[in-house]
Order: sequence, then structure tokens, then C-alpha cells
Amino acid sequence: MATLSPQEILERVRNLAQRSGAAEAEAYMEIANITEARVRQGEVEYLTQSAMQGVGVRVFVDSKVGFSFTTDMRPTVLDELVRRTIILAGENAPRDENRLPDEQPAPISDLEIYDEAVAGLRTADLIALARKSEDHAFATDKRVQSTRLAHAGAAVGEVHFTNSFIPYQSFRTTTCWGGVSAIATDGTTKREGSFEDRRRSLLDLNTPERIGRKAAERAVAGLGGAPIPTTTAPVLFEAEAAGRFLAGLVPALSAANVLEQRSFIADKVNQPIASRLLTIVDDGLLRRGLGTRPFDGEGVQQRRSILVDRGRLVKFLQTATTARRMNTRLTGNAFRTYRSLPEAGPTNLYIEPGSSTLDKMISTTARGLLVTGIAGFGIDTVAGGYSQQVVGRWIEKGTLGAAVEGVTIAGNLTEMLLGIDAVGRDLEYRDTVCAPSIRFRELTIAGT
Amino acid sequence: MQPAADFDTIPRMPLDEPISRRVFLRRGALVSAAILAGAPGVPWIPGSGDADAAIMGIGQELEDILNLETCNRILAEALARGGTFADLFAEQRFTTRIVLDDGKLESVTYGYPRGAGVRVLHRHQTGYAFSDEIAFASLLDAARVASTVVENQSPVTPIDVTKRALSAPFTLTSPVPLMAEPAKFALVRSMDAAARAVDPRIASVRVEYSDEVRDVLVATSEGTLSVDRQYLLAIRCVPIAVDGTMRRSGFGAVGGRVDEAYLRQRTPATVAREAAEQALILLQAGPAPAGTMPVVIGPGWGGVLIHESLGHAVEGDGIRRQTSLLTGKKGAAIGSPLLRVVDDARIPHGRGSYAVDDEGTPSRKTVLVDRGVLQSYLLDRQSASMLGGAPTGNGRRESYRSRPLPRMSNTYIDRGTSDPESLLSGITKGFYAAMLGGGSVDTTSGNFNFAVREGYWIENGAITRPARGAVLIGNSLETLRGLEGVGSDLYVEHARGTCGKDGQRVPVGVGQPTVRFASITVGGTET
Repeated sequence: MATLSPQEILERVRNLAQRSGAAEAEAYMEIANITEARVRQGEVEYLTQSAMQGVGVRVFVDSKVGFSFTTDMRPTVLDELVRRTIILAGENAPRDENRLPDEQPAPISDLEIYDEAVAGLRTADLIALARKSEDHAFATDKRVQSTRLAHAGAAVGEVHFTNSFIPYQSFRTTTCWGGVSAIATDGTTKREGSFEDRRRSLLDLNTPERIGRKAAERAVAGLGGAPIPTTTAPVLFEAEAAGRFLAGLVPALSAANVLEQRSFIADKVNQPIASRLLTIVDDGLLRRGLGTRPFDGEGVQQRRSILVDRGRLVKFLQTATTARRMNTRLTGNAFRTYRSLPEAGPTNLYIEPGSSTLDKMISTTARGLLVTGIAGFGIDTVAGGYSQQVVGRWIEKGTLGAAVEGVTIAGNLTEMLLGIDAVGRDLEYRDTVCAPSIRFRELTIAGT
Repeated sequence: MQPAADFDTIPRMPLDEPISRRVFLRRGALVSAAILAGAPGVPWIPGSGDADAAIMGIGQELEDILNLETCNRILAEALARGGTFADLFAEQRFTTRIVLDDGKLESVTYGYPRGAGVRVLHRHQTGYAFSDEIAFASLLDAARVASTVVENQSPVTPIDVTKRALSAPFTLTSPVPLMAEPAKFALVRSMDAAARAVDPRIASVRVEYSDEVRDVLVATSEGTLSVDRQYLLAIRCVPIAVDGTMRRSGFGAVGGRVDEAYLRQRTPATVAREAAEQALILLQAGPAPAGTMPVVIGPGWGGVLIHESLGHAVEGDGIRRQTSLLTGKKGAAIGSPLLRVVDDARIPHGRGSYAVDDEGTPSRKTVLVDRGVLQSYLLDRQSASMLGGAPTGNGRRESYRSRPLPRMSNTYIDRGTSDPESLLSGITKGFYAAMLGGGSVDTTSGNFNFAVREGYWIENGAITRPARGAVLIGNSLETLRGLEGVGSDLYVEHARGTCGKDGQRVPVGVGQPTVRFASITVGGTET
């Protein structure tokens, strides 16, 4: 079987593509070693440990794009795929902007995306971590006596890259995670509450105590939840829910969608699209960030970009092709796996922390809804509509009241963003897209 | 970690009727009001390729790499530390993806992922490991790793495997994934042209074509060896209608486990036109209502409601862990007497159809609910052995990189007797969901949601004005008890439906006739 190194594989396919008629070629490879343990009621339920690898080859033939990928590293397979990709690319439409990026990445100092401690984690360590998290969920509240699962995992990833202009290079990352899905019961009903933390470095990972406690608290908080009568009111989002809302907005920030009329903010550059309290940043260089990397999916050096500056739309997320089509600069946002062509996506995208706190937002809300969880699909980034199922707590006279479920919140995205009247300080980089808690001035809440 | 089905809306394919374009209820009138220019027909160009031979040019028959003796030795290693069951799952896929945007064929992608995994079960415990290399040495390693989940047990000797004949649920004469590439490009172009021809306000069209040929081999410690080849097609079309600063998207999809003849009846161009018409209707849409009211849901993809509200809750893993709200409810009335729900992995062309599941159990049709009474759960081997009973052929996995889980295949509300139009009568204020988007459910509470792509107000027994997108939410048991009417117009959607659970995505079918619920919460803005 093949014993070629990643470098040999990438250079082989790149060179073959160029010899076979590609004006430019790019080869991208991912390797990952993943271990995960899942525990339930103290017993191991699932263990998995595997190594995976895959390579993707992009070619440009007469300004036309072809792409192929495989997990099969036999040289004969790689060669055949490259040849077919070049032939098929010829069927596509040419576009002058279809070229590799002009920029070359420069060396970047330590981004702290690889942690030896994570790489050294063994199955037994992960089982122990999951067990401890579950134990803490049970210890938090006696209404939590079972879980759906408690899990912990570790991954070591490698990215290898070359193209017609950039010599072979690579980087390594680590990821570790732990989470609990706790089930609380009051005798008649059950509610599930989940908390998962995911980090680059073991030191950053939430303790099993916090993971278990957060899951249990969420499960218990859901007990006794009920709908409220349909109304309009201010709506507060806890940080994690705000992060998921922000993630739903990301397609509107993709330059490809803007070019094809698929974004409700397509013609709003340099205009206010949100309250002055809102600044949105994409930072590919954030130390220890889950989306941090030295270069993006097509070899472009990472950077920090302000996308929305105090409410004003500044720029979109670009790939090399879209940046040329819009006649603007690269942003380093080509996101991909070995199985996919580069498409615009966030690195570490977040709302800059504000000056408020969640407690202060609650205490200054006469009547309103605190959203602690959102579910399902509800953000229409083409038309700018919003409607989503949520759970949370009712706020009356600045104080948290009864648990709420079985309601939706809805509004118009433009009015919602302009109506943000508080941004919290509680930003945590627990995902590639994250936000502090925020408050929307007024939304429609549909209930009974 | 909650399950979710995504993808966007519509078209309806009949379960057992000739394929025809149906314009449901009043949509026809609204469409003609919205459209300025008619659409010329775009002919479909049949393929002529010999792609099967080309596939073999790269791929190898899985049985040639993993012969009976190899399978036996790997399974023996898997059970060397004990365990109640082991299986070896090998898979190779040949995928083609074509993207058209801005009137241009943007890219074509070929994929050839392959690999194999070994699983060891010991009661409720699972060990799983895989390799991207289908080779004896690496799979022996995987077997050793998977076996470590078992502690302090004696070795178990697996039964030598014998290949068994599978009963194919249907046959395809000329599967679309085997068509020559130029014919696939023609399909994509025909959708772009048809959508644009509907109206000058169609400013942008994106078409995403994807197909795959999936070869699977499952060898089990119970001595069975199953080998199957599965074809799948999905073409999605998203036209954008622009009027001033207003933008609205439409959605259409065509596909399934289909051949060329199927696409001559359900033409991609027709689907693209319907999607463009939807975008135009949405330009006229006003606010949706906010609050709880009677809701009528259109046929076909509307079945995402039953997928979310019932289907996930009967999956065996949630039952054996007692986290599902339907735990212990077999034999109990859980819905209206009008409710009959079926999961059928053998529907011709079904997106969720297969001859054998991903752990070697032959596929079948399972009645989940009859006259409102819960009849069966959906079981994989592990949940079946723990709950007592036979697996229902619902052990599915995203790929060789994942272990099987109990999953739905094609799930639908069975046909009723009502004339669809009659389901509107008596509703003073309500909501008609003509086409849904994606949904999700929390199987512990039963709270579910799904998005509406195309909805209308119902006022005084008639559909009146189109409404902007809104989410519909409900609680499974309350909603299913409130099923008030079931139409005779059953459709099962073959073109779309990708169900996500536990990080694994699998293709599924959903379906239903037009149905009416007494009370669902509509997440609009007009109070």
C-alpha cells in the first residue's frame, strides 16, 4: 500500500495536474486522530478511536474550476482522479476571477492552537473526565438522576497544503471537549439540559464540575416551563443563545451570497445595519481560538477584520474569487475541508463585548423574556426575516420569574439589529462563532 | 445535540400514483397573479455514458478486497476479548457535485471516499474504530481497538460468514448517477433556464446537483455477509426574486433513488419553475399571524412534522435509555384515532430506501402508529437486544466513520379519506402551511419546531393572503391528539430530507397527505 508522506502526495498531485493541462493547481490534505468516550450512569457506553485522512485537489483550466477528493491514497487512484478532474473542469464556464490568490502567507508566530497535553490524552483520561462531569451533574441537584450521555474527546488535526505558487506547508491543531446532557424530572415531566465545552487547550477546558453543573442547572430550569400569552416585549439573549443567533446571520456576510442577491444586507456597505453598540469582528489570529489557523483554505494569511463597526457594515467574508469579483481585498475567510471547495466562512467571529452585564439587563427590564435556548431553523438571511422557537424565563419588574417554553419570538432582522439596546461583557470563546449576552428592544412573542 | 432535519422545502411526489404536477388548493390562482411571463419548456437531454465502467476504473469491488476469510479473521479479532456481537462495515462512494450560479456552471466535484469500520457490542456498550484504508492489517488494528470496550470477558467465536441474497425493494433501469457528465450538466442548465424564464424579477438562480453511488459490505459475527449498491440523486434549485430592495428565495428539489425515466416524468425544469413561482409569491407576502390556532399543512414534505413530532421519539436509543417521552408507551393511545404512521424503507425511489440497513438487517415496512395507538419502535440491533425483540432494519450510519444508530427511513402519515379542500372549512382564523422548511425536536420534552417557507392565512374557511416565513411549534403528544382531519392526497417526498442526529447525517424520506391540527403555535408577528 501507499507509504507516501503528505508532502509527497500533495506535490505529486499538484505536479501531475500542472503537467496535465491545469494552469494552476492546489492540493489540500487533512489528517485527524480522534478519540472519544461516552459514559452514562457511570458506565462506559461508547469508545471510539480512529485516524482519518483525506486529500482534495483543485485545478484551474482556462479559468474553469474542477475539484476532486478522496480518502484513498493509492497513487494510481490519485493520478486517475486528477486526470478526470481536469477533463471535467473543461465543461464549466470560465470566469476571469477564477485563479489562485495572489497573496503568499508569511510565517506567523505561535498561535497556540496545538497543546501537547491534549495530544497526550488517553482513553482512560477521557473516561475519567466524562465520569466526573456526570457525577457533578448528579451532585448539583437531586432532580437530576439520569443523563442521556456524558462525553469527552480529544482530536489532533493536521493540515497540509501546497499550490502552484506556495511551497508545501502544514500546521497542527488540537481540540478537546467535554459535555453532559442531563435529564431532570419532577416526577411527572422530564427536561433535558446540555452543556458542552470545546477548546484548543486542556487548560482552557471548563472543569468537569462546571460542565456537570451547567448541564444540570439547565435541565432543572426547564421543569415547569409553560407558554405565555402572545405579546410584544424586550427579549434578552444569554451569551450562548446570542452566539447561535449570530451564527445564523453568517450567510448574510458571505460575499458569494451578496454577489448573488442572497443577503438582506447586500447593498448596505458603509451604512448602519445595527445599533451603535454592535461591533462584529472576525479574527483568524485569536490565540487558542477554535477557528484560528496560520492560513486559510486557499493559503491566504490570517488577519483580524472588523465586519461591522459600531453598527456600520464595513466588509464581507471573502474568498480569492469573490474578492476579485467585488474588486476588494482578501479577508482570509476561505473555509473548507478536504471534501469541499473553499467557500466564505468565519474564523473566530464574535460580537465585541459591551459595557453591560446580564444581571443589569434583567434588572432594567420592566417586563420581557430572557432566552436561554433556541432551537430549529428560523433565520432567513435572504429576506431578512426571523422566527424561532425559544425557551427561557419571564422577567417581571426587573426580576426573573417563571420558566417559559412553547413560545416563538419573531421580528425583522434589520429592525432587530438596529434595536439592540444592550451588549454584555460576558463573551467567552467557546465556539468559532460566539457573542456576549444582548438585548433586543422589542420582538413579537407568540404563545397561547 | 438534538436531532434536526434540514434542507429547504417543497415538491410532492406521489407514493403510489402516477407522477403528475399538482397545484394544491388556491396556489394556482396566486401564481398566475404573480407571474408576468410564461415559461417555455426546456427539454431534458438523456445521457449515453458508460460511467459504470468508469467507476470500476477507480473503485474495486468490496468483496474482492474483503473476501470471506478476511472478514472471518477480522470478526474473530473483534470478539477476542468477548462481546455479544461484532460487525465489519466497508463502504466506497463515488460522488459527483455540480454547482451552477450566476448563470454559470461554477464547478464540478468528484469524490471517492472509502474505508471500513469494526464495531463490537457488549450489551449497552459499543466499541468502534475505522480506517480510511480497506486493508486487512489496518482493519485488524481497528478490531483490536474496538474490542477494548469489553472488559474481563472470554473470547467469543463468530460464525463463519456466508453471503446472502438481498431482496431489492425496487430496480432502476438506468440510474441517474451513472449518466454521462454532459447529460448531468444539461439537467442543471435546464433548471437555471426554466427558473429565469418565469419572470424578469428572478435575479439569481443557484442549482446544486449531487449524486452518489454507494457500495456497502456488512459482515456480522452472526455469519451474514450483505453486499449492496445504492444510488442517490438530489438536485436543489434556489431562485431569488428581487423587487426593489425586497429579496425572496424559492426552493425546489428533485431526485431520490431514481432513474432517467423518472426524470422524464418529474422534470427538473418543472421543479425549477415551481421554485421560481414560490419566490414570486413570497414577494407579495405580508406578516404571518402570531399565536395558537388551527393549522393545515400541505402534503409531501409537510411530513417533516411527523418526522420531528413522532419519528425521533420512537427511535430505540431514546427508548432504551428512557429519555424519550414515548418510553413504555407501546400499546397506548398517543394520538388522534385518525393517525396512522408508517416507516417504510422499501418505497420505490424513496430517499430513505435501501435493501439492507448498515448493520446487515434486511429492510422492511413498520407500522409505528395505527388508529392513534403506538405499535412499534424503530430498532437497531443494540436497542432491539436490550428491549427484547427483533431489529426493524433501521440501523443506519452516515458513513464507515460512524457506528449505526436507530434512524428513520421514509416516514409518513398514511392517507385518510378527506377531500383536502374540505379541511379548511370551519376555520375562522388559521394558518395554511403549503411548504415547510427544516425542523428539530427535543425528544425528552416532545417540543418540536419546523419552519414554513410558504404559508397563507386561513380566514373564514378559505385561504386568503400569503404570509412571510414563520416557525410552527408544538408539543408532540398534544399536537398529535389534536389531529382533526387527514386528506386522501398522500405524497412521500423523495427529493430532499437529510436528518441529523448525534453528528451523523443520513438521507430520509418524509410524507403525508394534507392534514389539519386543532392547535399549533404560529411564530409570526401579527398579533
